Amino acid sequence: MNALEFILAGMLAAATPFLLAALGELVVERAGVLNLGVEGMMAFGAVVAFIIVHQDGGHLLGFVAAGLGSAALSLVFAVIALGLRANQVAIGLAIGVLGQGLSALFGKSYESLTVKGLPRLALPWLSEIPVVGGLFMQDVVVWLSLAATLAIWATFAYTKLGLVIRAIGENPKAAHAIGYSVVAVRFAAVAFGGAMAGFAGAYAAVVYTPLWADGMIAGRGWIAIALVVFGTWLTGRIFLGACLFGAVSLMGLAAQATGLDVPSQVLASLPYLVTIIVLGVISADRRLLKLNGVASLGEPFER
Amino acid sequence: MLNNLTRRTLMKGIAAAGLTSVLGGRAAMAADEPLGITLVIPSPVGDVGWGHALAAGLEPVKAAYGDKVKVTVIENIPEGPDADRIMNKTVSDGNKFLIAGSFGYQNGALQIARRNPAVTVLHASGFQVAPNFSPFAAKYFQGTYLLGMAAAALSKTGKLGSVSAFAIPELITSINAFTLGAQAVNPDVEVSVVWVNSWFDPAKEQEAAKALMAQKCDVIFSNAQDTPSVISACEEAGVYAFNLNSSMKKYAPKTYLGCVATDWSPFFKASVDAHVAGTFKGANAFLGVSDAVVEVVDWNPDIPVDVMTRIKAIEAKIADGSFSPFTGPITKADGSEGVATGTTLPDGEIVAMDWHIKGVATPLPK
Repeated sequence: MNALEFILAGMLAAATPFLLAALGELVVERAGVLNLGVEGMMAFGAVVAFIIVHQDGGHLLGFVAAGLGSAALSLVFAVIALGLRANQVAIGLAIGVLGQGLSALFGKSYESLTVKGLPRLALPWLSEIPVVGGLFMQDVVVWLSLAATLAIWATFAYTKLGLVIRAIGENPKAAHAIGYSVVAVRFAAVAFGGAMAGFAGAYAAVVYTPLWADGMIAGRGWIAIALVVFGTWLTGRIFLGACLFGAVSLMGLAAQATGLDVPSQVLASLPYLVTIIVLGVISADRRLLKLNGVASLGEPFER
Repeated sequence: MLNNLTRRTLMKGIAAAGLTSVLGGRAAMAADEPLGITLVIPSPVGDVGWGHALAAGLEPVKAAYGDKVKVTVIENIPEGPDADRIMNKTVSDGNKFLIAGSFGYQNGALQIARRNPAVTVLHASGFQVAPNFSPFAAKYFQGTYLLGMAAAALSKTGKLGSVSAFAIPELITSINAFTLGAQAVNPDVEVSVVWVNSWFDPAKEQEAAKALMAQKCDVIFSNAQDTPSVISACEEAGVYAFNLNSSMKKYAPKTYLGCVATDWSPFFKASVDAHVAGTFKGANAFLGVSDAVVEVVDWNPDIPVDVMTRIKAIEAKIADGSFSPFTGPITKADGSEGVATGTTLPDGEIVAMDWHIKGVATPLPK
């Protein structure tokens, strides 16, 4: 296996935690809510999934519990930020800190323990192609998150549900006037975002790096939020951004392993630079940016 | 009765005061109050790793002193103002013995030592010294040299790898000694290094290990990772791996090559003894095999017997001081002379090493 094969084989799995969390945050932001607590919700989902898998509860139960747990945490945000109309930025940050604190507390006796990950499933034919074959050998969660990407894209592009969510994010007053419950839809969106962040954390802790260590999310939640913005709230671009980020991080490590004479600090900052530049160039059109941006993002809704 | 007690306490106080002045400002502890020992570390105390090794080093002190000492471990304290505040608090709470378990605590800990002459401070990996302030570090390189020998003997590809946190002298030294040990068994061996530029990011550490495996490295040195991220990924891939500080054999029962274990207890015990006796004197403690601080444990049974015999012979020579891994001739990666033939690099230059030796394939970040 050479460096290229290593990057192709690992890219999707490396992108998955970012992708899942960013897709969740996309739905939240499309509904006009800014929840900055992704990092904490990921950490909480990670520890919940880890504890269950470590107690032999199985990966499925681990993921379900992580999704439910982080969704519950995000509902705390929803109650305060949407119900009581507090400042979303402040509450989001607070929920993030709470999630990290809870994860440290629950994970205390599981520190540095490991579990078994999930096997990689190979797509017939495709996985036998030389060089790119590794791309088609991924664990089931990667395949499911690709399906989720498609589903979310289709929901926004083709369904009434997608239109309702977008309408509520663009102009909640108008949506309210024609009879949609802004707060109810936003609650659901926030819970969905929480569940996705929980899945993302679970993937990190029980599949990708199957171990628990306090602080293991290591800023990935923040990168997910950044991906939503740099992806200009478009599903396809967020997917592209996540893959790019995953691929370039692996490239940096592979370049060092092959002995390439590039300072490792530069390689370590490359994923951020490349992702920002590429997504920045794609979305350079200000008109489009304005069109895609969510008009009421972060503003509390009052009837 | 009450009078008696008061008088006795008073006498003790006078005696202590006298002792203090004799010993240059270091107070002896009051006989009936336990000595408060506080360990502050940046990471959580897991079952393994750096924090675990430090905390475990205090166990024999507890055992020896019983209820005469009170040990407090404060974990997860990021380097910076928070750490200074917490260390100050423990000292103002009456703790007289402080172990600052991370390089970044240096300035705060040193200030505390200067302001509180009666407090003894031990500081990990630093370079500042004061009368009541000792920096301490382990000679990991003595152990990585031995494991380098084992690695070269077991490698089929002749390519070894290291997942390393930051390019600081301590880690560079470990990689160089690892390479030198490997070259002693197989002169053509090549070592690749991936710097993850983070003290703590298990996912990235694992990706780095896989990147090395993709380059056919079949023995991997987990250099300063506090979690079994690298070790467990290697077990899964069937690649030999070893680490520093505390054994991670349970995460890799088949492919665990060994552990450069650190046992801080002799140093901690001696320092506490000196503090209690009032004879503590701050000095740079650079401790290795001969101090019983560094020891390679959990050797993999796959290592060929003849190589193991050689390793044990070298280990004995390191222990009695007749051999140092950094004995010339050693060539730097850029081709210039690192250590001249017949000379041995002094400790002072080892702790400041900022060059790779020839044989390390990855250029050092500048």
